Amino acid sequence: MVERQSPLEPDFHVGSHGNFEHGVEVILTETRPDSIVQLAAWPGEEKMLIAAIRTVTGLALPDGAGAGVSDGVKSAFGFAPGKFIVAGEAEGLADAFAKVVTPVIGTVTDISHGRTAIRIAGPKAEWVLSKFFAIDFALTAFAVGAGRSTVHHDIFAQIQRTGTDQFDIYVFRSFARSVWKALCRASEEVGYDVQ
Amino acid sequence: MSPRRTDTGGRIDRLKTIRFTFDGTAYTGHAGDTLASALLAKGVILLGRSFKYHRPRGLLTAGVEEPNALVTVLKGEVREPNIPATMVEIHDGLVAVSQNRFPSLAFDINAVNQLGGKLLSAGFYYKTFMGPVVGPLKGTRFWMFCEHFIRRAAGLGSAGSAKDTARYERMNAFCDVLVVGSGPAGLMAAKAASDQGARVILADLEPRLGGSANWTGETIDGAPAADWARRTVAQLEGRDNVRLLPRTTVWGYYDGNTLAALERVSDHKDQPGKGEPRHRHWAIRAKSVVLATGAFERPLVFPGNDRPGVMLAHAAERFANEFGVLPGQRIALFTNNDSAYRAAVALKKAGAAIAAIVDVRPEPSADMRELATEAGAELLAAHAVIATEGGRALSGLKLQRFDMSNGALNGEARSMHADCLLMSGGWSPTIHLASQAGARAEWDAARQAFLPPKPAQDGPVQRWIGAGAFTGSFSTAAAMAEGRAAGISAAGATNTPAALPVVDAVPGDPDPAPVFEIRASGKSFVDFQHDVTAEDVRLAHREGFVSVEHLKRYTTLGMATDQGKSSNIPGLAIMAEALGKPIPEVGTTRFRPPFAPVSIGSLAAERFGDLRPERLTPMHDWHLANGATMYSAGLWYRPMIYALAGETVEQAYVREARATRESAGIVDVSTLGKIAVQGPDAAEFLDRVYTNMFSTLAVGKARYGLMLREDGLAFDDGTTWRLGEQDFLMTTTTANAGKVMQHLEYFLDVIWPDLKVHVTSVTDEWAGAAIGGPKARQILATCVTGTAVGNATLPFMGIVRGRIADVPVMICRLSFSGEMAFEVYCGAGHSTHVWEALLDAGKPFGLVTYGLEALGTMRIEKGHVTGAEIDGRTTARDLHLDWMLSKKKPFIGSAMMDREGLIASERLELVGLIALDNRPLNGGAHIVEEVDEANPHDSIGHITACCYSPALGKYIALALVKGGKARRGTRAHVSDPLRGRFGPVEIVSNHFYDPDGNRMHG
Amino acid sequence: MLITCPYCGPRDVIEFTYQGDGNRARPEPASQNFEAWNAYVYDRLNPAGDHNEIWQHSGGCRAHLRVVRNTLTHEISSVTFVRGHHGSASRPEAEDRS
Repeated sequence: MVERQSPLEPDFHVGSHGNFEHGVEVILTETRPDSIVQLAAWPGEEKMLIAAIRTVTGLALPDGAGAGVSDGVKSAFGFAPGKFIVAGEAEGLADAFAKVVTPVIGTVTDISHGRTAIRIAGPKAEWVLSKFFAIDFALTAFAVGAGRSTVHHDIFAQIQRTGTDQFDIYVFRSFARSVWKALCRASEEVGYDVQ
Repeated sequence: MSPRRTDTGGRIDRLKTIRFTFDGTAYTGHAGDTLASALLAKGVILLGRSFKYHRPRGLLTAGVEEPNALVTVLKGEVREPNIPATMVEIHDGLVAVSQNRFPSLAFDINAVNQLGGKLLSAGFYYKTFMGPVVGPLKGTRFWMFCEHFIRRAAGLGSAGSAKDTARYERMNAFCDVLVVGSGPAGLMAAKAASDQGARVILADLEPRLGGSANWTGETIDGAPAADWARRTVAQLEGRDNVRLLPRTTVWGYYDGNTLAALERVSDHKDQPGKGEPRHRHWAIRAKSVVLATGAFERPLVFPGNDRPGVMLAHAAERFANEFGVLPGQRIALFTNNDSAYRAAVALKKAGAAIAAIVDVRPEPSADMRELATEAGAELLAAHAVIATEGGRALSGLKLQRFDMSNGALNGEARSMHADCLLMSGGWSPTIHLASQAGARAEWDAARQAFLPPKPAQDGPVQRWIGAGAFTGSFSTAAAMAEGRAAGISAAGATNTPAALPVVDAVPGDPDPAPVFEIRASGKSFVDFQHDVTAEDVRLAHREGFVSVEHLKRYTTLGMATDQGKSSNIPGLAIMAEALGKPIPEVGTTRFRPPFAPVSIGSLAAERFGDLRPERLTPMHDWHLANGATMYSAGLWYRPMIYALAGETVEQAYVREARATRESAGIVDVSTLGKIAVQGPDAAEFLDRVYTNMFSTLAVGKARYGLMLREDGLAFDDGTTWRLGEQDFLMTTTTANAGKVMQHLEYFLDVIWPDLKVHVTSVTDEWAGAAIGGPKARQILATCVTGTAVGNATLPFMGIVRGRIADVPVMICRLSFSGEMAFEVYCGAGHSTHVWEALLDAGKPFGLVTYGLEALGTMRIEKGHVTGAEIDGRTTARDLHLDWMLSKKKPFIGSAMMDREGLIASERLELVGLIALDNRPLNGGAHIVEEVDEANPHDSIGHITACCYSPALGKYIALALVKGGKARRGTRAHVSDPLRGRFGPVEIVSNHFYDPDGNRMHG
Repeated sequence: MLITCPYCGPRDVIEFTYQGDGNRARPEPASQNFEAWNAYVYDRLNPAGDHNEIWQHSGGCRAHLRVVRNTLTHEISSVTFVRGHHGSASRPEAEDRS
């Protein structure tokens, strides 16, 4: 299989950057899941769709707006009424869902190429993200596993908290390099590693 | 050089010497000093020249409200003007200069402006420069003549023109309680709220938290108030639920308890840390706000009240207690209230001689008499200062007996020697943020001040509680009690509080005498920064101004960068007296954001320069590496041309277009908007959205579609591909992708909620390459596997799936160039791989890459429309697209598209133009029937797009022309007076090239 | 200004797009009643007080919301989905801030 090109390549510089002499407080990386799928249920069919996600991925999605779960390999979260993003290492996740999510339940849209997933982790991850997004990143307001849809200027982002101080940001591929450069720059004051 | 540094006291670190320069002279100060305190300690009291009269000015205050001592700070080539010296923290290498003086601060030529003072009185500009010319030296033309000289003479610091290279950032914050102001009230509020577990942000514009506790000399729980403040701050600092923001000015209070603040992160440092911004703009969303913003002391208005050496009483107290600087050796005080007595005692303790306390009130209380004695001051009750003496520094003052019941002066004037005169005209609560939040201030006759209204804690839009001097509670004990109550309440708790700290303070009545002005001869300043005198206010009244809002604009009172922090109330009081009305009937102006000046950089923040978001196609790096000149189209970057060495833009696009028509060309079309339209009702939905039918489209086929707006005008066009029974891929124009998406979502959510359709943006999922030209099919045949690409398998508007270089692709045979053409779509991550494979396959066939210019040229030759023609004013008929308007079904816009005005015969219609003089045409040029270069008129339309057509060998254009279709075959002219382009054109069909489509059908 | 999206919680107004007067009634698609179409496309209420508005959470979940906003005070007294009958996966988490 032909390898997928990352939109970040020319600006992806592995190593320590910024004010890192006193320690690195942020780690930036691209998670590069093989599959990113958007699932959408017809009104009233959300529970069926949540069941389908469990069937395909084994992930037990909690019920509720923006609820989500991640097992480290696969992640799923709600980002809009009846709509979910599922990402995972396995290729062909969209085909697997297409077999389970019948037209009665909802639709499956493969966005594996269309979204880029950037991970920011570390004690200052909340601080750096707060420079861009007008949402409350505090753990009390944004639980581990949960998802949020938000925007930075024209750049739409879906963010899942995949750890106490770890967030996966899904952005449109065409904007990914801009977002990456901005995140790197915003992380300079706290010191960051690109991995 | 009478001011000096005291041996002890203050927040400064005497062991740390800081070197800086002011007006080219090197000075030293100490860590903790402001530019104001450091210069004052060195005896520098002349710090600026006034706005209009160029009068010498010194420090009036010690804080953010400073109107006089404005300086320009230089950082390399970057200059930032109009910063109060009281807000500049000194650091090694600081370079500051004074403003509005020529050639120097000590000797200023324009000081002669004072002599002709009447010339520059209130309304000077309006009377002299506005309106019709009545005399030789009047009117707007006279203004144009004088402007240069006046702009040079009157004004503040000048802005720089060097690019500001500093970093600015934005920060979003959320909290339960935002406390604004860190004085005793604010500290108590923050502590109480955080005790309850609330997430608290405490912001203060000063570098050192503590507010008045840092300089009142009071004791709290037996220790100096400053120590109590430091301990409390340390305690708060250690709490996870508290964020302290020193050097942070909360400057705007907006709906929904959203507040804007400016943090000066590194202005006080020689060099910012790596990656550290200069300023940070905070957008704080607070569930509740505690306003503990304190109060501003007011000056008294009397002749010569602006002479360097005259300052506010509390400012001198601050300089002495907080910075260890004595502003004078022999100090007199002039007051209408008790607070100046405390200042007298403090300055006495710090080592100054107190010459006198001049009190307008006939009978100061026994407590005040005792304080005067303690200060060693002569107490002159029922007296007023009527003049100050000295040149660029105060040397003495004149006093007279004063009857505050009628403002009369009587008896012999008496002179007194003093090098510093402190004044106190009472206090005005800093109600700016509450006023911004919509609260109407209420006049309090006892306090002689506008107080904030009742807390808006239950307000639907703003929720704040006041505490301390902000509410008119001027004693520290009351402020602390209010602060704690406010903090508890803001945190949503009702806990019974423990005992309050015990405050030991000098006694004092918070209510001043209602005296604002001493009327004697000489200029008495109300607004120091804008040089507005008491006489200017009265002049405005005599000329008929009654509204306080008009007064403000006519005299410019309170309109300088300090926004009248010290001048509003005295100005209002003088106006009220002139009108013979009580102050509350005259009213006050409403405060608007920002509370203090805000750097534009902090607002632009990460949207600036390199940090503007860019949208890149997946082949972007390939284009750059292969000589493309990029063109920004909205946020997208697209190749404009791939120029060979030495080629002009026209030569490049003509070569690219010609090669495409002769052999083959390939262009990146990844920016086209792409929307997945899925669900059982997708076909029905598209029938409603498009003017033409989509439910009849077979799976594996594409169709060109047109959308109208509800009002019947054309909206967008594009092809939509049926990939499955319930699965469509809609394409839109690049520019309208977002708008179309929103349009579809609106109709699905609001108008037709019962339709089972999902729309998803997949613009970024698919990379697109359009390959067209006589050799295009042969090229595909050599590289596509898994499908045939011949006419049988892939007819016009057919779709096939196959692979190119082992990558799955989707190929649709459709044409924008007018040639036999194909759009090849693949996953964006594989795009460069596929693009290069296509180029390799095309090499033997002479395949060229082409950019937007050639794309545009070929579409003009074909007469296709884009956003230049679908401009929000044209209908389908105007664009000759009426063949697409289905009569079998209603669609969005169908009900409104046949309105009288939209089907009129004289509408602008799409035509083609050929330049008969064989010269380039210009977009936007008008079309006329008869050329009249001197007096261009009677436009019958305009050019929307133009190019040199290699296919026709002519300069051609598309245009919208009145009754255009009927004019085909006739002549007209372009009339473009701005660019001096006139000339004959022939009006033709917009389909210049291959009108029957033989080339694309093959 | 903050709008409390029923799905996403309170968000800054920068995340939303105003999508017009919520009182408009679109005639049946095939309707030939020109007066009704004209009223739908052009006539707007401009009340001083509560106004029924459509907003899209365009920078969030993208749902269209029916918002009752007081044009004098900017008070928002009600926000609901325009397209209703979503199941439980559309309601805020229990621990989410309301």
